Amino acid sequence: MNRNRWLYPLSILLLLSSVSLEAIARIKLTTLPVRERVAIQLDHPQIALVEEERIVPLVKGINQVDFSWANTRIDPDTLVLRILAASVEPALNAQVLSVSYPPNENALIWSVAANVSGTARVRISYVLGGLSKNFHYRAVAGRDEATLELAQYLQVHNNANEAYETAGFWAGVGQRFDKPLGLNETKEVQLSRFASVPIRKTYTCDPVASGYLDRAQDKLNVPMHYVIRNAGGALGQEPLPTGKARIFQDDGQGGTAFLGEDRGTFTPPDDELELYLGLARDIAVRRTLDRSERQRIAGNLYRYDVTLKYEIENFKDTPAILDIAESVRQIRDQVHGSADRDPEWQLGDGTLRNPDLEKSDADKLVFHVELPARAADGQAQKQTHTLRLTLNNEW
Amino acid sequence: MKKNRNTWLLGLLGLLLPLTLLAGNVDLATVPKRSTVQLTIYNSEDLTLVRESRVVTFKKGINPLQFSWANTLIDPTSVELKFREPRAGLEVLDTTFPHDRPQTLYWNVQSDASYEAIIEISYFTSGITWAADYLAIANPNETALRLESFVRVKNLSGEDYENAQVRLVVGTINLVEKIAELAKLPAGRLSELKREEYGELRQKAARRMMAPAPALMMSGAMAADAAEKEAPKEIIKEGLSEYFIYTIEGTETVPNGWAKRLRSFEADAVPMTVEYRYRPREYGDQLVRLYLLKNDTTSKLGSTPLPDGVIRVFRTRGHEGLSYLATQNLKYIPIGDKIELNLGTDPVVIFELVKQKVFRDNLWFQIKGGNLYRKLGDDGFKLELDSPVAGWDEHTVYQQKIRNYSDKPIHVQIRREYPGDIVFRSPLKPSLHDFRTVQFETDIDAGEKARLDYEIIARMGYNQKQNRVELQAGAPGR
Repeated sequence: MNRNRWLYPLSILLLLSSVSLEAIARIKLTTLPVRERVAIQLDHPQIALVEEERIVPLVKGINQVDFSWANTRIDPDTLVLRILAASVEPALNAQVLSVSYPPNENALIWSVAANVSGTARVRISYVLGGLSKNFHYRAVAGRDEATLELAQYLQVHNNANEAYETAGFWAGVGQRFDKPLGLNETKEVQLSRFASVPIRKTYTCDPVASGYLDRAQDKLNVPMHYVIRNAGGALGQEPLPTGKARIFQDDGQGGTAFLGEDRGTFTPPDDELELYLGLARDIAVRRTLDRSERQRIAGNLYRYDVTLKYEIENFKDTPAILDIAESVRQIRDQVHGSADRDPEWQLGDGTLRNPDLEKSDADKLVFHVELPARAADGQAQKQTHTLRLTLNNEW
Repeated sequence: MKKNRNTWLLGLLGLLLPLTLLAGNVDLATVPKRSTVQLTIYNSEDLTLVRESRVVTFKKGINPLQFSWANTLIDPTSVELKFREPRAGLEVLDTTFPHDRPQTLYWNVQSDASYEAIIEISYFTSGITWAADYLAIANPNETALRLESFVRVKNLSGEDYENAQVRLVVGTINLVEKIAELAKLPAGRLSELKREEYGELRQKAARRMMAPAPALMMSGAMAADAAEKEAPKEIIKEGLSEYFIYTIEGTETVPNGWAKRLRSFEADAVPMTVEYRYRPREYGDQLVRLYLLKNDTTSKLGSTPLPDGVIRVFRTRGHEGLSYLATQNLKYIPIGDKIELNLGTDPVVIFELVKQKVFRDNLWFQIKGGNLYRKLGDDGFKLELDSPVAGWDEHTVYQQKIRNYSDKPIHVQIRREYPGDIVFRSPLKPSLHDFRTVQFETDIDAGEKARLDYEIIARMGYNQKQNRVELQAGAPGR
């Protein structure tokens, strides 16, 4: 039993002799206080903090407690030994006097003074390299794409060269859980499950962000997103950490079909998580620069009147909302030539007059356009929208 | 047994032969042991002043003494011999650095009678260093933290120092040469350097601050004291000139190659506040969270300046578990000064700056490349193409959005730097941190959002008359 424990690269030794350091001469054979409990805190974005509790027998006087970590990447400067207040024996009062670091060894020796002989519960904390985590998500949307079931998973990768028979894990979000973690193992657990999460399905055309499907024909790409709000129900209590999300859809035959995947970004409560699933080919958008007129005000100062035209067809049998996004700077650069200064603009009397103020700013404009389903005879109705802009004070 | 391993790397021999016979191959020597040793370690330089005392028996007449330091990092120019007891009657006649035996010197000591004398040998060595480090553990509510300060002494000098009194100097001293480099030179070559000059300068710098050596301590008694003491050692802190000296209670043994870390002080429940700051010049382009505390007595600190050192910050979660927050290099903190612990960004506080609107006015033209300027809109004039825009006011309306998804109210301080001739117009009651840096603050309740609107008017080109920010109260935007 004890022999086995010797195999662990990480060990704590209690040197029974209470003699001075030189006399230790790095003798290794002593009692081996076993781990009573291990907690692995993964709440820091990059760093894993391991805390282990051990019951250490102490004799009256000064005890040398040897902690070594051959072949593991413990950051020795982060090692903290705390003697827990709730000690096993209330009469025992123990204190760390000093820490000694022997040369050329991954080890240290705590000098611990005890007022009586007895056992003390100690907690040893350290930052351990090679222990990493990531999150990922799996979502299954219903047939009607109105809601989805969202499952959140945590993966812990152990390349730390240390095995943990059982450890309590906490990833900063979700529940704490206890699992064993072997050498070079990856452990995956489901942290949370969110049922009936409402989906908002969006179609967006944005010449800057998503480009053209066919530049010669002025046809824009129309990416489709699922938008999930981190709010309501079980959601909204904690942020959703960054992680890959795979989206499936109920195929109506008891199975699921894979719709696509995207890297979900960190989403705080009340914020929206946008997952790009793929291009919607049944919504066609043609964008043309319909008109561009220049008027000289004085000297080399000009004003531009620009009209953009969008011809939109929805070939789907359901109505949809299309988000049209534009960068005014990009339009200015196209009609006037690029300049360092920000464009100064005013919306004109096109059909697109009311941008979504939450999503628009000095450069970006976002409009929502309602698209009816295709007609019963299968014909899609073509809608034409115009965006009129006046660009002032350019030179 | 240890003594065997280390057979007098650093030794003092009382030679029983007349000095004239030193060239001979047969030597007989007695080896007086160290009675006490004191180490004064500087953290700003790789420099340690060693002061050791030994008991040596002198006969009347000339007594040769040999001092050698093979495989250590001692600066030979710094070795000094003094007589502690008796103070009179003994005199160093000369010092010889023999050409055939490196890392050795001989003293000829003239004695006017037979004495059992206590001598003091002092010298500088490199390879012994010390550094401070700190451990801060915040309480779960982040209202107070426990601060522990440590000193770590590392001995790579090649020599074991047993039962040494250890003193640590906090501060930056000026040295003209690094001792480590000096020590590599043979003693003969050193005389080619301007010996008096550097010796005087450095030793002045270091020795002058040394308090007189404490009364002679018997090593046996001290060793027993060190072994038996069952409480953490106290570290006595005293100011000395521009420096601070930490004296570690009792004595310490730090074998060569080892390091030892001792607690310098601890303070429980040090009050602190949490602040969020946006200061791109100091913390980069991000909103960072800080713990703010003070090195003063009302904060249960303030007994000593905090020497430079690494601080590791944790926070207690339930069940006595810890969360790792940050590691940071703490710069020297004088008594009474503030301590700022930068914990980095907080993922649940979202900080976004939105540029909402841009417009330009007050446009001026330069007439035909000359010194004449006209403003747009003056008297219906029509300027020709060769009259370019020469000056204008660029108005940019911003909204600073801050969302606090944490479970506590937060205080946010923002500093932004605007070079040029700038008007900062807002209802935010800002102040000027300096001539071109605007500072404003806000409090945001848990789960709430703040939207801070302001307008920057930059006077560009011909319109720029100043280089400073002017604060204006008012609603941003046209």
